[in-house]
Amino acid sequence: MSNALNKKRNFIERSILSALAFLKDATLSEEYANRKGFLQSLDPRLKTVSFLAFLVTAISLKSAVLIGSLYGFCFILAIFSRIPVRHFLIRTLLFIPLFSLFMVLPTLFSIVTPGEPVCSFHVLGLNGIITRPGLDGAVLFVVRIATSVSLVVLLSLTTRHSELLKVLRVLGVPQLFVLTVSMCFRYLYLFATMVENIFTAIKSRVGVVSHHRHGQNVVAWNLANTWNRTTQMSEEVYMAMLSRGYTGEPRLLKVFHATLKDWVWLCCAVIICAGLFYRGQIL
Amino acid sequence: MSDIIFELQDVHYSYPGKFPALCGVDMTIRSGEKIAVIGANGTGKSTLLQLLDGLIFPHHGQVRAFGELLRENSQVDENAAHRFRRRVGLVFQNADIQLFCPSVREDIAFGPLQLGVAEEEVRRRILEVAQVLDIRHLLERVPHQLSIGEKRRVAIASVLAIDPDVYLFDEPTAGLDPLTVRHIIDFIVNANQRGKTIITATHDLHIIGEIADMVYVFGQNKRIIMGEPPDSVLNDRSFLEINNLVHIHRHHHDGREHVHQHLP
Repeated sequence: MSNALNKKRNFIERSILSALAFLKDATLSEEYANRKGFLQSLDPRLKTVSFLAFLVTAISLKSAVLIGSLYGFCFILAIFSRIPVRHFLIRTLLFIPLFSLFMVLPTLFSIVTPGEPVCSFHVLGLNGIITRPGLDGAVLFVVRIATSVSLVVLLSLTTRHSELLKVLRVLGVPQLFVLTVSMCFRYLYLFATMVENIFTAIKSRVGVVSHHRHGQNVVAWNLANTWNRTTQMSEEVYMAMLSRGYTGEPRLLKVFHATLKDWVWLCCAVIICAGLFYRGQIL
Repeated sequence: MSDIIFELQDVHYSYPGKFPALCGVDMTIRSGEKIAVIGANGTGKSTLLQLLDGLIFPHHGQVRAFGELLRENSQVDENAAHRFRRRVGLVFQNADIQLFCPSVREDIAFGPLQLGVAEEEVRRRILEVAQVLDIRHLLERVPHQLSIGEKRRVAIASVLAIDPDVYLFDEPTAGLDPLTVRHIIDFIVNANQRGKTIITATHDLHIIGEIADMVYVFGQNKRIIMGEPPDSVLNDRSFLEINNLVHIHRHHHDGREHVHQHLP
């Protein structure tokens, strides 16, 4: 049996395992958040507020050059926060900005955005004219997306997810909601591992080659089994909460401590944003 | 009689849609006692601990805790529930169930905070229990990143931070390496020496001599079939064998297979 056929037959398993691996890597890995870098050393509350300010600035500015400079600043922060450049660029420049580029592709042309022609070409009997306003608009859109994504990725890479969730409390989100989302994160890893183990157990018994119909049955069975186990576990976790005094109104630890360095950082962030807005009005 | 902590009379319990889990259990536990509950799988040990912790309630018979009848209604009142929770702590068999917070520090803090302990005092207790259980280096870690032994120690810390009078342990040494088992036994013995009442459900006959002054054996009929000091239980080999509590080892000696029972 050819390798291609094997791959086709195991596509469900490969898809699920790849999705789980991505989930663990992208959302649950805290490798970079635990490093001793500049952004990691900041108070999560003030860091989040400063990044929100950068984000609003990136969305509001109408100059691609200024937004690009904000991206450059973000890149420097990534380096000082000990985020590998290659990893950061792949996460921020590859997929979402590329996808946004495809989205704005039609707006480059004179049919959608009329204006001063920059270049023209002839393909399959059709005349294509790229206009200056179309090009400027597309560049602005892509740079804005790339910068916004970079800011969000940098914040999530350098902040532990539990801390990010706790920042929500500072922003006035109810404790019950924060606790529930925290617990979802906590058990996501456990269930992702459980599903992986189930596939490994199946593979150890039936081998790697299986008919796609059998694969579908396995996935359906796996879903049902995972559902049962999550339901059972949710009841047990609730018991464990009751056992330690939970009565429906959670009380959580306040763990943030802002230092002078954090306030200095926030001031710098505000000055940078104000400077960019000022430059944006002049240009 | 005032030192009686738990008193169970003809307690029956069945899980919804399942076979009965307990069928007529009578038991009296006094303050400062060290008790082990042993029995084969499915004989109702974990169910007993959940009953003692006021998480489930008997369908027939009654459980009295600290002189008061333990009923579902009594746990609805927050003050009454908190009074009880301050005095009784359960360490679950599956540490992943017990550690539901995003970090070890918050898991340890969860119990005292719910019970109204002031935040400064909670912070002091976190450091204290982390010192006792040697988990200070784990405080900022995410529970899912811990080993089984570390999770078990953190689970114990999360109950120790409440500082209850009664500790309930469900299979505290299952699946752990020998050194971690040693640490947990030491913790149980020390807690008892400090006046705490210890009730441990376990399969591990090797540890009951240390962790118990009295052993209750649960049989397949979901009732207590023996209640004696550890030595009496361990010396009754035929009884242990009939009740599926004996470790059987298979060895090869001089090219011959050799099967024997293994008891402490």
